[in-house]
Amino acid sequence: MEAMTQTGNPTSDEDLVANEYLTFTLGCEEYAIDILKVQEIRGYEQPTLIANAPPFIKGVINLRGTIVPIVDMRIKFNLGKIEYTPFTVVIILNIAGRVIGTVVDSVSDVISLTPVQVRPAPDFSGSFDTKYILGLATVDGRMMIVTDIERLMTSADMELIDDASASS
Amino acid sequence: MAIDMSQFYQVFFEESAEHLAAMEGLLLDLDVGNPDPEQLNAIFRAAHSIKGSAGTFGFTDLAETTHILENLLDRIRRQELGLRAEMVDAFLECGDLLRDMLEAHQGRGAVDAAAVEAICARLRQLSSDQPAAAPARPAASEPVTANAATGGKRRFNIQFVPTEVSAKGDGVKQLLDELAALGTLEILTQPVAGVHDVGYWQVRLSCNVGQEAFADQVDFIADNGAWRVLEDEPSAAADDAAFGFFDDSPGAPESDPGYGFFEPPGEPVSEASAVAPDGDGYGFFEPLPDVVPAPAAPPVEEGEGYGFFEPVATLPAAEPPAAEEGDGFGFFAPLPPVAASDASPAVVAPSPAVVSAPDEKATVEPRGRASKASPAASASDSSIRVSVEKVDQLINLVGELVITQAMLLQTATQMQENAPERLLSGLVQLERNTRDLQESVMSIRMMPISFVFSRFPRVVRDLSGKLGKQVELKTTGETTELDKSLIERIADPLTHLIRNSLDHGIELPEKRIAAGKSPVGTITLKAYHQGGNIVIEVGDDGAGLPRNKILAKARERGLQVSDQMTDQEVFNLIFEAGFSTAEQITDVSGRGVGMDVVRRNIQSMGGRVEIDSMLGVGTRMTVRLPLTLAILDGMSIAVGDQTYILPLSYVVESFQPQLGDIKTLSNQARVIQVRGEYLPVVVLHELFNLKPQSGDFSQGIMVVIDADGIKAALFVDALVGQHQVVIKSLEANYRRVPGISGATIMGDGHVALILDVSAIAGMAKSSVQKAG
Repeated sequence: MEAMTQTGNPTSDEDLVANEYLTFTLGCEEYAIDILKVQEIRGYEQPTLIANAPPFIKGVINLRGTIVPIVDMRIKFNLGKIEYTPFTVVIILNIAGRVIGTVVDSVSDVISLTPVQVRPAPDFSGSFDTKYILGLATVDGRMMIVTDIERLMTSADMELIDDASASS
Repeated sequence: MAIDMSQFYQVFFEESAEHLAAMEGLLLDLDVGNPDPEQLNAIFRAAHSIKGSAGTFGFTDLAETTHILENLLDRIRRQELGLRAEMVDAFLECGDLLRDMLEAHQGRGAVDAAAVEAICARLRQLSSDQPAAAPARPAASEPVTANAATGGKRRFNIQFVPTEVSAKGDGVKQLLDELAALGTLEILTQPVAGVHDVGYWQVRLSCNVGQEAFADQVDFIADNGAWRVLEDEPSAAADDAAFGFFDDSPGAPESDPGYGFFEPPGEPVSEASAVAPDGDGYGFFEPLPDVVPAPAAPPVEEGEGYGFFEPVATLPAAEPPAAEEGDGFGFFAPLPPVAASDASPAVVAPSPAVVSAPDEKATVEPRGRASKASPAASASDSSIRVSVEKVDQLINLVGELVITQAMLLQTATQMQENAPERLLSGLVQLERNTRDLQESVMSIRMMPISFVFSRFPRVVRDLSGKLGKQVELKTTGETTELDKSLIERIADPLTHLIRNSLDHGIELPEKRIAAGKSPVGTITLKAYHQGGNIVIEVGDDGAGLPRNKILAKARERGLQVSDQMTDQEVFNLIFEAGFSTAEQITDVSGRGVGMDVVRRNIQSMGGRVEIDSMLGVGTRMTVRLPLTLAILDGMSIAVGDQTYILPLSYVVESFQPQLGDIKTLSNQARVIQVRGEYLPVVVLHELFNLKPQSGDFSQGIMVVIDADGIKAALFVDALVGQHQVVIKSLEANYRRVPGISGATIMGDGHVALILDVSAIAGMAKSSVQKAG
């Protein structure tokens, strides 16, 4: 873990460019996603159910005239307690030209990470496939799971997009 | 000055399409026997504008074809040729091909090169027929006027720029020899030998023959338009010596027949970038209003050249695409409306100069600018082109505003007594304003239905000719407005209905006379508003629908019919797929495909079609459409804690069932008897896996739906109300959901899903079939 702090030795110019990430918690895990994919953050409101949708698709909400599907990542990945409190937050993502909302326990921070700080994740199997993980990063002793949110949301697993338009 | 022309392509395509449409409309209006010169001029101008801009943008195929078309039109409007019906046919056909070319340039479809060739040949042929007055060559647009045979020697001033091939070979020499054989030949100007082979020639020929005798040869060595022949007769060139290929501003009336193509003196003209340094007598000049006017100085023929000057445009002008040096013409960007002050004197003045000194710069002849400026200017000022996306965005925002306003109002009413008087009155005011705003924003998308109707005179004309019928088309209510997206989608179904009326409805003239009707059939096309709908009627005074024949045909096809069916029901059979009573299949209709597609298309727009018919009197098809695609008349229904919208047009009736009404088939599928018919029961909460308010059938409501003839009874918890809802796409951000066609936002800001009735009815049918 020596090279993972802000003072790590950069190897190239590209590695110097820090990207900003939004971090959020699901249960006791912390995730980081590219902030440029985030459109806004809003409180949770009861969505309209969609018939016969998988349980982690909570339904659709009206976001200023746009119909936006809401995904609960906690249900999808079996993380933490599924409860909706006034602090439950929906991150509205703008991915592949679509607007998608995702329910998380809380939003923590916006952090800067350079590519060197993101270390490859060890190979493990689980519901959260490693192909959606860009790597792991440590900030102030906390481990962040840096997620390829675009790939995750457009994957067939999420059942958000018709197969025809699915990309991975 | 490399300007990316492609950014203007779209404008060009739209404009050209408009010109083509205008041309077609005018052609159809034209009285062949006694054409109105104004109309002829307008047709000519449309062709002229297309040619000009096509050249500017480098669409040479378009430019060349329109050029030939224009030449013939020009001769007709100058009454050198009489207008004949076959010419109108050729023009219309040519217009179709031009439209194909435009489409092809936009990447849609391909142009039939052979057809283009054929129509060009036909136009040339038409143009060379009847050599009444003077010139025979159509490709020349030669200006020589009607004073043809004066006897004695005629002197021609021949100017041309040979193509590179003929200039390098001995084509020019051969031409000169041939000309010399006709009479006395005098070379006035020739390019500096060796410097540049392609160059400007001017010769004078005195001979006894007309120019038809040598025009072909000249045309052979020079490109179309890169040559001209002037007859040196005082009267000849007076009003139309100069010709050119230059663009007008669209729709500009061109009052003087001799159109010149030069900037009027006084306009700053810069030729800075253009002139081929080696003595071609013309150049392509870039218009740069802010550049100091430079004296025109093409090295060899001073000032003679027909120059190709860009009109001073508001856009930084386009580089003429014709980079080939040696082509004696240029293409000009459409001229935007120009200030009209420097008008009439300039127009008159240059004309005499043309006569006496065709090789002087005096050929510069400003057009009648005064006349053109005002209409063009007013037309462009009164409307703007805005992308549909922007309008849709605006409509969405206003939709949002309406919802927000409704939410506010709801909150205020919940406060009841506590709400301050001023807040309430303010909210009422807001409600009125938002409604007005919504209405006016919606009206932006509205277009008069004449956009669709205008194509039908042509359809009727072509078809009636083909079928040997005499048909008159009457349209009313062309100004009725409906949504642009509907306009685009209604065109095909309507065309089909009209073709159908023409083919099956209207009888042949003999039959009509025998039936005591006028030999000329009438098709009426009517559009009007009725309630929240727009109604389009296609009526004919033809034979009417033969009820017995339809019934017989239906039995033949194994459809369930009975003699007790109402006329309406019988007539609706013709919308069944593959149904045709035509005795023989024509290439117009009768194959039985079509009416079912018509009905499906209209239903997909949320509309419906009805038929009224009386044997021997006529048929009337009535199409009812919602005013806009974005709004739907819906019934909101409650299932469990959810609200769904059921499109009202599918709802037949609703009633509260008794427990015993519902029977089961093999203990699985449920059916209910409604007015003697057993309908499958679709229990919505089961379909959507919801917890119902009550599982008891007697506590809920049955809604009978009819989707494309498939009926089903939908069991819901309650009917909530009837609304007009704005349709939102679910697929934009999510995916297709079976049984759901879209979503909408209710007054409280919540999303309600719109049921896909056809899919649900289909589900019901398949479940019954499985059980049975």
